[in-house]
Amino acid sequence: MNSFSIKIGGEAGQGLVSVGNILLQAISQEGWYLFSHRDYESRIRGGHNFTQFRLADEPVHTLEEAVDVLVALDKATIDRHRQELKEDGVVIYDPSVQGETIDEPGFVAVPFVEVAQDQGQPKVMANAAAAGAIWSLLGDDLERVNGIFAAMFSRKGEDIVEGNKKVAQAGFDRVRDALGHRDMPPKPANAGPQYLIAGNPALASGALAAGVKFMSAYPMTPSTGVTEFIAANGRRCSVIMEQAEDEIAAMNMVVGASYAGARAMTATSGGGFSLMTEAIGMAASAEVPVVVIDAQRPGPSTGLPTRTEQGDLLYGFGTASGDFPKAILAPGDVQEAFYLMGHAFNLADKYQMPVIVMSDQHLADSYETTIPLDMDKVTVDRGEIVSGDEAGTDYKRFALTESGVSPRLIPGSGPALTVAAGDEHDEEGHLVESAEARRAMMDKRMAKMKGVAEEALPPVLVGDDEPELVLISWGSTKGALFETVDKLQEKGQKVKGVHIKQVYPFSQDLEAVLQGPGKKVVVESNYVGQLEKLLGMEFAWKPDGCVRRYDGRPLNPDYILRELEGGGHLG
Amino acid sequence: MDTLADKLFQTTPRETAWCPGCGNFGILNALSDALEELSLEPHDVLFVSGIGQAGKTPHYIKGNVFNTLHGRTLPAATGAKLVNPELTVFAIGGDGDGYAEGGNHLLHAMRKNVNITYLVHDNQVFGLTKGQASPRSDQGFVTGTTPQGVSLESFSPLATAITLNAGFVARSFSGNKSHLVETIQAAVNHEGFSIVDILQPCVTFNKINTFQWYRSRVYDLKDDENYDPSNRTAAWEKAQQWGDRIPIGVFYKVDRATLDEAHPASANGPLVKQGVEYDGVKEILDGFAVNG
Repeated sequence: MNSFSIKIGGEAGQGLVSVGNILLQAISQEGWYLFSHRDYESRIRGGHNFTQFRLADEPVHTLEEAVDVLVALDKATIDRHRQELKEDGVVIYDPSVQGETIDEPGFVAVPFVEVAQDQGQPKVMANAAAAGAIWSLLGDDLERVNGIFAAMFSRKGEDIVEGNKKVAQAGFDRVRDALGHRDMPPKPANAGPQYLIAGNPALASGALAAGVKFMSAYPMTPSTGVTEFIAANGRRCSVIMEQAEDEIAAMNMVVGASYAGARAMTATSGGGFSLMTEAIGMAASAEVPVVVIDAQRPGPSTGLPTRTEQGDLLYGFGTASGDFPKAILAPGDVQEAFYLMGHAFNLADKYQMPVIVMSDQHLADSYETTIPLDMDKVTVDRGEIVSGDEAGTDYKRFALTESGVSPRLIPGSGPALTVAAGDEHDEEGHLVESAEARRAMMDKRMAKMKGVAEEALPPVLVGDDEPELVLISWGSTKGALFETVDKLQEKGQKVKGVHIKQVYPFSQDLEAVLQGPGKKVVVESNYVGQLEKLLGMEFAWKPDGCVRRYDGRPLNPDYILRELEGGGHLG
Repeated sequence: MDTLADKLFQTTPRETAWCPGCGNFGILNALSDALEELSLEPHDVLFVSGIGQAGKTPHYIKGNVFNTLHGRTLPAATGAKLVNPELTVFAIGGDGDGYAEGGNHLLHAMRKNVNITYLVHDNQVFGLTKGQASPRSDQGFVTGTTPQGVSLESFSPLATAITLNAGFVARSFSGNKSHLVETIQAAVNHEGFSIVDILQPCVTFNKINTFQWYRSRVYDLKDDENYDPSNRTAAWEKAQQWGDRIPIGVFYKVDRATLDEAHPASANGPLVKQGVEYDGVKEILDGFAVNG
């Protein structure tokens, strides 16, 4: 794979997001594969944020640490990131912000605001100057970028579109004059139709394709994108998104809506997830299907609100008091984010239990180009539902069955009645205290885990069948893991990559992988090695090593390779 | 007069978990009668209850039941009502459930004006956990957690509800069945959030606020022909009255948009009856296509 990385840094509120949006569109439309991640602080103005773009001639799902182009809207960008620059790299910076002109090879001064003003345009068009300057390294003219200006600003008037074009051209010329024509990053021969989508909209779209009818949530980074996406499409897709007074209310509303018969979900992050666990336990006891997205961020407590971590796995496994059936899914990219939401709803309905989808900031906020998402591949299985017309007067909501699943009656759908409780109950749903009844109801609920385990999704395997080294990870680490495998294979190593997208219960297929050939190293973004611990509990197994990251930044192949080297796991 | 066995909402007799003489029996009977006369069928009704002695009520009446968590009746009832507005939804809990554990939900349910009826069995004490102070306990009330007597002022649910412009704000008394039946019916018939704080003696753990204590103090707001439940300021002032004389009846009533109406998604009928919006989702997905 040939790839090319651009990092744009600046203060919050400086237009970083606008430049980023223009580049996302332009790069993907031009035909490159793209992966882009935002690194931002928990503030609205100031600080230092950056967005990194990696364009490639092959599908790309992770970042690299070194960059080809550094674009500095603030001083901190050069101060903090210049050591990431590759040989022959280019730095586009604003000397008025930097406070000096840097006379070094590859450094191009583009006073963004001045460039805009020179063209008789307002300061805010400094963004267009930056976009044009960057594009001089990616294209021989600005046709692509100009098309995006037209699409973005035509509603604001032709003057605004033309102004942006002029400013972008001036920015483009500055860099072209300074550096001349350089080789463009190689493009794929024919990528075919592509989508450009981030994790949050992919999860939300997956839920809509699965027929979610109710969502309630309390805004919390990095999950809010899911909530806002569902809210924005409420009318179009007949779904209610009700903003709750807190996460406790959100989860309880979801349980109430699902009890009443609607597919229902919520999305939150660590602290909010903590508040939801009581109601998740109730859903389990009353056998109400619910889907909960936990977009993980570094904890404990408020932690690092805008950064990433895979630190909630064991908390998801141990969510709420008591033993109860559940499943935890962990999408590794936008494709899995979309399709696993449909699977989550089906599992929740089929087994009438909570299903947790573990996303994280890395997945939530990263844009990827990807093959089109196909809603015809999303099936809706509502499980065993009985209407109040079909059910007799002797209907029992929690009738004991071998599978543990009892037909669920939708209240109000006919004369029969349904009684459910979070308290321990008998088959009719009324409260009981006897040891026999308790045992029967626990056995019934837990019996569902047999079915859940049997249909657990197998791990995704890449690389060698007879590996010397097996790298195992889960969730959004997938992209970094698989590229690491590619890189090691290119060096002649026999490596296998194992991506686990269902982290509870595990597929029995994993047993063969864990007991199979090769040194096993578990790669994950948390301090204690939560996947490693859970695998140990379920399979009585220990790996040969680990790669862990807990500084709030996403794993990438460079980091993993360095750690593998340091841990003595290579060659 | 009907015997209980003839009634539509009366369930197969089962042993209740309540003490003999409990004020909850009066509420159960009044609720059953109120529904009978509203010509609803049990399957049209959903009782969402919390935890505490009051939370057990729906198990002793016919209807759809969801016995949820302590303090969380209102959000659970809200979720159910939003996806199926055709259900007549009751939230049922005690004063500890609603005014302590569920306080934040109460504020927001009232503000949202979700079209449900909230019955609060207010016995001014925690019954199920054996007699601790509740937010409704009067000052000086001695309990296991307040051995020196309650020092705090009692929470005023009605004044709070009126402040938040709740749709229907009433108090009734489990010892006055006809008043309670009438009040529950008016609450159900009101379009919007209705709260009925029901004075309900706990015969075991509250030896102060007894049937006799309440009976000698309560008077019906209807007896004052000048009382106007649409006057919010006067209603708030009336809600301050507690002690020697305790008003019962409808304190305040206002018609305003309900939460169910605020959601355009419900325009085509209850969401529980709707499936995947194929065209809508297709349009969304097409929006992600890169137009190279």
